[in-house]
Amino acid sequence: MPIDHKRINGPEDTLPYQLFTKLNRKSLEQKYKELVQDGKRHDSRAPLEHRKIFMKTGVVSQAKGSAYIEVEKTKVMVSVFDPREIPNRQDYSLKGEIYCEFKFAPFSCEKRRLHQLDAEEKQYSQIMKKALEATVCRHEFPNFQVDIYALVLHNDGSALSAAITAAGLALSHAGVPMYDLITSATLGIQKDTILIDPTTIEERICRTPFWKEKEDNEHGLVVLSMLHTHNQVAQFYQSGSISLDKLPHLIETLEKACADTIPVIQQCLVKHVIKTIKKSSNVIEV
Amino acid sequence: MGLSEAEKTYVLHGVEENLRVDGRDREEYRPMELETDVVSHAFGSARLRLANTDVLVAVKIEVDAPFPERPYEGKLEFFVDCSFSSMITWVLNKMKPQMASSPMNSHMASKKMLAKERTIKMISMDIGLPSSSANATPNFEGRGGEVLAAEISNCLSSAYCSSLSFDLTKLCILQGKKCWKLYVDILILECGGNLFDAISIAVKVALRNTQVPRVKCIDMDGNNVEISVCHDMFDCQRLNVENAPVMVTVCKIGDKCIVDPDVAEEQCSVGSVVVAVSGNRFSTVLQTGMGSLHPLTLVDCLKMGHKVGQKLDEAVKEVLKESLRGGDVGFIK
Amino acid sequence: MSKKELLSKIGLRLDGRRAHELRRIRCKLGVFTEPDGSAYMEQGLTKVLAAVYGPHQVRGSKSKAHHDNCLINCQFSMAVFSTTDRKKRPRGDRKSTELSMHLQQALESVIKTELYPWSQIDVYVEVLHADGGIYPTCVNAATLALIDAGIPIKEYVCACTASLANNDVPMVDISHQEEVMGGPTLTIAALPMSGKIVLMEMSQRFHLDHLDKVMNKALQGCKDIRQILDAAVRLHVRDIGSATGWALTSYNE
Repeated sequence: MPIDHKRINGPEDTLPYQLFTKLNRKSLEQKYKELVQDGKRHDSRAPLEHRKIFMKTGVVSQAKGSAYIEVEKTKVMVSVFDPREIPNRQDYSLKGEIYCEFKFAPFSCEKRRLHQLDAEEKQYSQIMKKALEATVCRHEFPNFQVDIYALVLHNDGSALSAAITAAGLALSHAGVPMYDLITSATLGIQKDTILIDPTTIEERICRTPFWKEKEDNEHGLVVLSMLHTHNQVAQFYQSGSISLDKLPHLIETLEKACADTIPVIQQCLVKHVIKTIKKSSNVIEV
Repeated sequence: MGLSEAEKTYVLHGVEENLRVDGRDREEYRPMELETDVVSHAFGSARLRLANTDVLVAVKIEVDAPFPERPYEGKLEFFVDCSFSSMITWVLNKMKPQMASSPMNSHMASKKMLAKERTIKMISMDIGLPSSSANATPNFEGRGGEVLAAEISNCLSSAYCSSLSFDLTKLCILQGKKCWKLYVDILILECGGNLFDAISIAVKVALRNTQVPRVKCIDMDGNNVEISVCHDMFDCQRLNVENAPVMVTVCKIGDKCIVDPDVAEEQCSVGSVVVAVSGNRFSTVLQTGMGSLHPLTLVDCLKMGHKVGQKLDEAVKEVLKESLRGGDVGFIK
Repeated sequence: MSKKELLSKIGLRLDGRRAHELRRIRCKLGVFTEPDGSAYMEQGLTKVLAAVYGPHQVRGSKSKAHHDNCLINCQFSMAVFSTTDRKKRPRGDRKSTELSMHLQQALESVIKTELYPWSQIDVYVEVLHADGGIYPTCVNAATLALIDAGIPIKEYVCACTASLANNDVPMVDISHQEEVMGGPTLTIAALPMSGKIVLMEMSQRFHLDHLDKVMNKALQGCKDIRQILDAAVRLHVRDIGSATGWALTSYNE
């Protein structure tokens, strides 16, 4: 593993202190019980309630388009750069390429992340690319490449969904031709508890099966991205262990969650348009 | 390899009629050849040939320290190398999903209709383009291969992640100190389409074939841990791969879904879903390809993948039960 | 005291061969359908796959193309599981870059490159199991793959290793065990019919007086290998040809 010598790297063998806290010693049953108490999660949301979303465009001045999304603690910044010729490519490609980089900032998670992309980040980059490829009219810029960088400033669960949603907004801010607005949502499942937009703690609980022998030990995470107007699934990713009976229901739930996010993006875009018009009319008056 | 409009229509109609170009029906696989114990330097190995796709999987074992977050578990790592077949046109994901056959085009004409039609999954895109774009020969050369390799290994690690599909606790030697690390190295020798399925079966069989050394005793001297391993070659543990996932790539062509697409069919596909089935559950589902799917189509794909995956899993188990050995294995036969 | 000798008193080597004996060679042409030519080669436990693509248009930058001959691009890689300890990377390290270059050198000497101006031939070799004499096996496998691809070559190019045991007796085709035990290794790639040497490489040392006999031993090894390759090619051609019926008349043993 090559180490980046230009930056100061943290010591190699360190452990996050959270491993030794009391929370980590709780038994699995206890954790599951505390997941939802009296119909409320630990941040007093209902199981199928999405966290509040804040979005803003034009946060990075150097980039052609950019967006910032805040889903309570999860904060992601996405910047989109102008189409440029595809580097190191001889043959002509009739469709534009999309380059995606999904990166957790070194300080964004419990454990310190390195500056280079690790396997998880590479996988997320690829999923993001898949989602955006289906969204962007790639034939509009043949032989060109659009670079999209997503930086997670704070990861408190569902970072991939937040990044995809923000990337859609950033792309429209950059004026890249798109078929539709894209929104994404994450869902966690443990036994028969379904949690929309899970936080890091909930995500961790959903990753491991709690009961080995019992039949209903389903668990897992599902990420789904939708193109709203056309009612198309742009990207779907599931991990864990989920039965065929449950999955269609989960897809439906996620579809709804995705649709709920649409007005936020629309408002944000309208705001941006009004601002731009005002600006240009000011210029004319002068 | 670029297909003409007429050829694509031919493939499409074949799928429609449930009689594909090579005579299979929609849920049928091409013949497979499976061999085990082909690499003698490895602890377990398997070679699978699915029509023209040829993969070699070898498992190597090393002693390592477990992750501090998961002190009771061993480690499993996948590495995919597809350099050898680097010149081959890789059609799996790179190919432009062109459904520009004439009946499709008429649908494409109106966007509103498109929104209602749940049959057409690609949102326009290719209408005005000549079909020759399909042979833009994306190949394994350089970065293309790396991206594909990363996609496959990520998909595999995701599918093996849950302890319900593969139990890593069996690989722990001493809690928090020592564990076995399995390196599953996948070498793609020839690529004739449908890599995910072929690789997942080969990996499953190679893991089943793996002989984990039996630990005789563990000496602890302060923080120093020494392990002595049984020297008897036949005294070893086998891994439980009962629930190890089998992946099925469900490919959407026209209105219908098919499994195990060949190179021509991959080019006609408008989108595909890789479904990893472990026991009767899904361990990973990953949408691949360029296009998007209607939610209901996605569910259809899942259903089909689930059904075929279970059948495939049974077939593999059946074959492994026989597992007669004799004669030459490998490339000389 | 326990140090074993490369050659025992009765003239047997560690694996029971005599000094002039090659390891068992098994090979097959046309193992894959996708490449234009392919071959599989086993020398003892060393197992190598080779694939040939081309001749085709020059890939990558066009400036590499030559107007009077074709470009030969060799890629050598070792499967990560081919050695006892798992390798970190299949290629890109110094040794494999060097071997790629040496392979290219050997193949350029036999391929009639002037027939394909502005084009490129790719030769890929993959070591599945390494047990000494990797380079010779790769050269031999690449030769077979070229023949399978139907690319005109002047003659077989074969490679072989030789060593010197007990400072006196030359022995041919060195295995991994013998390499590790120490002792000099002379690698030769040669055109056995015209007796030309294409590549010669030696590690460690012995007295100059011994060079002749060790070299001759290696050359003899190349000639022996040529015969085996030739037999394999004839067999393959007969098998393929028998489908059309023409080869039966032209084949004579």
